[in-house]
Amino acid sequence: MNVLLALPALLLIALVFGWPMARYTWLSFHADSVLTGLVPIPNGGANWVRLLSDARFWQDSLQTARFAVMSVSLELLLALAIALLLDQRWRGRGAVRALTLLPWALPTTMMALGWRWIFNTPYGPLEQLAAALGLPSLNLLADPNFAWMATVAADVWKTTPFITLILLAGLQTIPADLYEAFRLEGGKPWQSLRSITLPLLTPYILLSLLFRLAQAFGVFDLIQILTGGGPASSTESLALYAYLNAMRFLDFGYSATVMLGGFLMLTVIIVLAAIALRSIGVLRPVK
Amino acid sequence: MTIGRRLLIMVLTVLMVLGFGVGWSRGQAVEDVRILMPAPFVDATASLVERFNVDHQDRIHLSITRGPLETESISDLAISSLLLGDPPFDSLLMDVTWLPKYAEAGWLEPLDRWFDSGDEDALIKGARLGNSYKDHLYRWPLVADVGMLYWRTDLMEEPPTTPDQLIEISERLQADGSAKYGFVWQGRQYEGLSCDFLEIISGYGGHWLNSVTGQPELDSAAANQAAQWMESLLAKGISPRAVTNFAESETLQAFKSGDAALMRNWPYAFAELQKDDSSVRGKVGITTMVAEPGQQPRATLGSWGLSLLKGSPHQDATVEAIRFLTSESAQRERFMERGYTPTQQSLFTDPALTTRSPVLPDIGKALDVAIERPPTPLYAQLSDVLQRRLSAVLTGEQPVQPAMDEAQASSEVILKSAGGSG
Amino acid sequence: MKQRQLWIVLLLAWSLAPMVWQLISSFSTNDALIATPMAFQERWTLQNYRELWQSNPPFWLYLINSSIVASVSTLLTLLLALPGAYGIARLPKLWRQNSRLFITAAALFPYVLLFLALLELARTFQLGNNLIALALPYSALSMPLALLLLSAAFEGLPQDLEDAACLEGMGLLQRLRWILIPLISPATASTGILVFLFAWNEYPVALTWISDAKMLTLPVAMARIAGTSVYSIPYGAYAAATVLGSIPLLVLVLIFQRQIVSGLTNGAVKG
Repeated sequence: MNVLLALPALLLIALVFGWPMARYTWLSFHADSVLTGLVPIPNGGANWVRLLSDARFWQDSLQTARFAVMSVSLELLLALAIALLLDQRWRGRGAVRALTLLPWALPTTMMALGWRWIFNTPYGPLEQLAAALGLPSLNLLADPNFAWMATVAADVWKTTPFITLILLAGLQTIPADLYEAFRLEGGKPWQSLRSITLPLLTPYILLSLLFRLAQAFGVFDLIQILTGGGPASSTESLALYAYLNAMRFLDFGYSATVMLGGFLMLTVIIVLAAIALRSIGVLRPVK
Repeated sequence: MTIGRRLLIMVLTVLMVLGFGVGWSRGQAVEDVRILMPAPFVDATASLVERFNVDHQDRIHLSITRGPLETESISDLAISSLLLGDPPFDSLLMDVTWLPKYAEAGWLEPLDRWFDSGDEDALIKGARLGNSYKDHLYRWPLVADVGMLYWRTDLMEEPPTTPDQLIEISERLQADGSAKYGFVWQGRQYEGLSCDFLEIISGYGGHWLNSVTGQPELDSAAANQAAQWMESLLAKGISPRAVTNFAESETLQAFKSGDAALMRNWPYAFAELQKDDSSVRGKVGITTMVAEPGQQPRATLGSWGLSLLKGSPHQDATVEAIRFLTSESAQRERFMERGYTPTQQSLFTDPALTTRSPVLPDIGKALDVAIERPPTPLYAQLSDVLQRRLSAVLTGEQPVQPAMDEAQASSEVILKSAGGSG
Repeated sequence: MKQRQLWIVLLLAWSLAPMVWQLISSFSTNDALIATPMAFQERWTLQNYRELWQSNPPFWLYLINSSIVASVSTLLTLLLALPGAYGIARLPKLWRQNSRLFITAAALFPYVLLFLALLELARTFQLGNNLIALALPYSALSMPLALLLLSAAFEGLPQDLEDAACLEGMGLLQRLRWILIPLISPATASTGILVFLFAWNEYPVALTWISDAKMLTLPVAMARIAGTSVYSIPYGAYAAATVLGSIPLLVLVLIFQRQIVSGLTNGAVKG
């Protein structure tokens, strides 16, 4: 009976997440593009051959990885600091927590537009600030070398609250007497961070790391609105490239291949990260 | 109640029913025609649309859907509607490079029924290009657009006509200090770079895509020479290094401020150069891009045109609207008020128009040698590959030959994987 | 402690400054946004908001569309997830653990990758341009999170309670309806609000499933408004749209703060 209740939900998930992957695998061995009248025709491994030699795919992979690693690590650091601040007892803590949560709750598209305005040249506040300080124009969104930093900044702003909450939940599971005992043994407050807080927080850090890495690897909304992938595709992510292949180039077969390629890469990264984290094992709880 | 009164009531009733019916059927007869256009064109056609609706009151109501400003975004919007089916437009204002993709996808209704060869002969040569795909007419041009070489009449007697001359003149002017840079153009990794390259490779007698075999020829001698020449402009300092990040507006800015002797740009730039804040006002001539001796100089075709979407329930009405918006008087008005280049042959020598812009005949000459970017449904991907490799050459990341070989190989792979090798 | 106050101020500035900037921009004239400093009285205007209200279709329509989609998605998700979560919570241990692993993997999955398959579904089954139909993928996509949160809540209930109800002769549906579901209502509220937020904010699926301007949800409408101005600086109007679009969320977050936090953190602790 319980199985019967659980089954529909599990099947639905299997269908919604599994079927597309099966479909993409099948599509990736077909030409399904405007040239075939959007009807799949087997083309052997031509899509995969193309993927391997596609400079844009590899550039986007690197850019996606750069985006994911940079934004997630910055978010973790910031979130840790903020969580430590919010974990202390002070008046108005609840209100501040609610306010810091706001960026996370707003639609990405909306705030991506906001950030486009903030980075606008020459009228955005950043440019005006630079001008007021006598600095040269940043022109961040037009520079292929720096535009990605704008995407990272916007993502950090938006997603840090999410990690903060998870870490905060972790901090609140650490019993206060541990710190007390540490202090009695003569440990300095900042040492307790390394010896108690971080080790006990590790599962939460890993969890948010895993979750955010996967989400950041699929970044789409933010980049589509903030930069459109430009300039010169310098901020284009794999998801955006897959989207363009389908919706702009009308090449569904190759779009599916790009998505599978990206997905495989993500899986490999997560597995490698898991192995690496396990093998380092520096973070162990103190007795 | 008398017979007379009954009769009167009956007659009145009949009249009312009739009147109602007539009013109703007239209401039915008004066909709603909707055209999707990029935002700037919406403003440029607003007064024409108003006039059309007055003229066709009770029959056709034309409304323009305001699409995104950026060229690619409007195509994205149109495609997502078309993919879902039942698009909320009857007609779409299309860039020249989209047509093969839309036609091949089966989204366009051929216009052959409504336009004959007489209509086509009235167009200037360049405007006749890029409207047909596989022997069917799918698009009627609204405005013409073509790549041109701008030159400073105060610095040189005659504009250069060959690549060597361009270098020679530039070096001379730079040496005597009359110009900071010789030649500015669109070197950023984006569509403009492909447009510039098409003119140069044609000037060397080469082809980007062979129109007979449908295969790319980017590893040909001409392609290598073209890329080599563009790279040498940077190496010799004729073009500033910053050109690798120049799109149209940066190019225009450099030329407008008097920093450069020559510029590659579209016709819109001429009006900009005549404004008060321009340092080169009245000192600018325009011609076609340089070509090797014996080769035909070529000008990359831009241009927007109106197409009819398949499945539109108002085909005749839509074509009527297309005809109106592209009529000679509409073109005249758009040119006089907004400076949009006309498409009708006769207008290029019309005194009223040439007084307004003395370079109009020169634009006409460039349109006579206009060349299309490869008319393939896969154009966007092919152009991206080319832009990437050219940009690598221009920024010194990759030598010319391997870059062009790679561009060739990638283009072949794209054609093959999408099923277009045959 | 002076230092802490400084940090709190910095934190709030970082979190709120971009939103405050939007708020200021939304009430500023376009001249004020681009020109050198203006007289204080001259820079303020309601024009941006008026434009939004008079635009075609009017902006409030998008708010209504998003509300419809988000409400239907939330209801549908809870309707499917509550029995499912109960079933999972009562599975034998090994099964339960494997199910959880599977669901967690789905929750981690960057769902944007599903857009192409979903688009094919929309085309095949004519689901495009239909707000109710859009709730189907939304429910499916939020199912993993909902199952994780709700099954954890069901597992937290003491087994004796259910046994007692069984002894009284209550059937499964009755037990769920009268005893179990009321007891996990805090978790249900958390789940509901998170699903609502997801559906309200979702972009890629809405982008491919909706093309009719009258059916757009807020995020897609915002993106579309952004592209369609000929002015290089239409940011006053964007900002006004951002502010209007944010108000419902601000209200939601401030009211349901506790539920959101407990939902996210429970997901973290137990997921």
